[in-house]
Amino acid sequence: MKRSRSRLFTDIATYFILAVATLFALFPVYWTIATSLKTRPDAFVNPPKFFSFDLTWENYTALFEDPTFVRVYINTIVVTLFSTLLAVGVGAMASYSLARSRRFAGRRPLEVSLILLRAMPAVVLIVPLYDMAARFGLLGRLPTLIVIYSVFALPFAIWIMTPFFAAIPMELEESARVDGASSFTIFRRIVLPIAAPGMAATAIFVALLEWNEFLVPVVLGSESTKTLPVFISGFISARNLDWGPMAAASSLAIIPIVVVTILVQRRLIGGLSSGALKE
Amino acid sequence: MNPPAAPGDVALEPREASLGLGGLPPMKARTSSITRRAKRTAIFGTLPTWLILIPIGAVPLVVGLWLSVRDENLVSPLPATYVGLENYRTDVFNATFGKALIVTLVIMAIGLLVQVPLGLFLAVLLNRAVRGTQLFRSALITPMLLTPVAVALMFRFMFNSELGVINWALSSLHLPRLDWLGESGPALLAVVIVDSWQAVPFIMLLLLAGLTALPQGPKEAASVDGASAWQSFRYVTLPMLTPVLLVTIMIRLIDGFKLFDIIFILTRGGPGTDTQTVSMLDYNTAFTFLATSRAAAIGTVLAILTLPVYFVWIRVTRIEQ
Repeated sequence: MKRSRSRLFTDIATYFILAVATLFALFPVYWTIATSLKTRPDAFVNPPKFFSFDLTWENYTALFEDPTFVRVYINTIVVTLFSTLLAVGVGAMASYSLARSRRFAGRRPLEVSLILLRAMPAVVLIVPLYDMAARFGLLGRLPTLIVIYSVFALPFAIWIMTPFFAAIPMELEESARVDGASSFTIFRRIVLPIAAPGMAATAIFVALLEWNEFLVPVVLGSESTKTLPVFISGFISARNLDWGPMAAASSLAIIPIVVVTILVQRRLIGGLSSGALKE
Repeated sequence: MNPPAAPGDVALEPREASLGLGGLPPMKARTSSITRRAKRTAIFGTLPTWLILIPIGAVPLVVGLWLSVRDENLVSPLPATYVGLENYRTDVFNATFGKALIVTLVIMAIGLLVQVPLGLFLAVLLNRAVRGTQLFRSALITPMLLTPVAVALMFRFMFNSELGVINWALSSLHLPRLDWLGESGPALLAVVIVDSWQAVPFIMLLLLAGLTALPQGPKEAASVDGASAWQSFRYVTLPMLTPVLLVTIMIRLIDGFKLFDIIFILTRGGPGTDTQTVSMLDYNTAFTFLATSRAAAIGTVLAILTLPVYFVWIRVTRIEQ
């Protein structure tokens, strides 16, 4: 009896603490979206209006009337899509190799490179990359951004995917080998279909990284290749008081992320956890 | 690129392949030819990675080294010349770099002290067999996935000293209002708060995965022996969780050292240089002061400082296995 009462108390405490933590986690998200739907006076009023304010779309219509913003949104989608495909495609081949062969020429150098690439501040590479891109006329081009984004995401992609490939039973491939299938056929017909769910989870994660990338496009991009994080960062200098449009642009950056994570929640968590635990 | 179709190629659907598994003879005799083949496949499979990794990950390090011994910049029209170690003397072994290094380490240290206990605490709560934890988990991981630039900008709005909701909350609790981004102490705190807002969910998620994977036996045994909840956590769960905890701490230290986006938006390293981390200093040198070669010298030293991570990484992941 006493034990169950103390259990009830712990349960209530658990719920209470988790509820408070959830409030802290979600309030800034709510506040961003709420501010984006407020009129200018409502956004600036003190004490702040938490729930009772007049809804307006004016911040969003202002953004979409600006042709720059539409361009920015399309740029962000294009760069995210192609760099994710590149990182996951190239990464899957490397992950499969690392998972299947304990020793091969270049394994150790590859591991060292991937770990150091993961650990090094990106700006260390960005300064010389800027110099190189300027000399070869590659500044301000989407393909430049796409390739660099995908390289920066590679260590993460490979780290997450290797356990998925390692979990595929070797016997499946050996039996196909006996039937005379080539390595490429085995990878395409047997390994890829089994690894597909893991690769999909990885692709979602990599896409989030690419969508959020800031340093690469802010340094190596131009007006015509501007992405969403770069556009959003523009609000601090020039238009310091445009909190409404700024909140609207921020909402348009984070709402797709929230929607995607709600849709693929389970897979996403499984993917990240397995990568962190088994590698 | 497509190799010619091998015999039996057509029938090679995954389902059939796995069905054929039962009747196979032992593979011992073929093993050595198979490993040789696997090695060849592995070298071929890592080729595309090398193809993009070398020009974008390795060549810039060499170019950076080359730039760092010259006097390239984006302002002067004069051709650049070789200057030896001059840039290292003026830009690395000076007070500004030292201060940036200390600021970075302080943010990493405070961050770790706040984030790891908090993340562990939340992971333990989520791991309790209480209804509804799935829903809480979904809500609690949201911050780690959001665009850091957007997050930092929104916090900048909330930290605004006159109109921000944070100062409003402080004064309604009869606490002093702070000039969050204008004074060095509060600015450093603001950076840690925003970083923690995104990092705690990440730590929580990794540790929760670690907790879920633990065997239940030792814990039950401890409870049978009359251990309190705290004792069983401290002496049974925590030691078993240590490997995952080490991996988590290592990843957080790496990301703390790399911290850039949040500071760029929130403070730009200010007030003065009081929240200027090493990444921010390197960026400012290159793209605010347009001193490419001096930035390259800073970058080269940062790259060297990163090298020990490899040995820690190998150590820590080996413990985990």
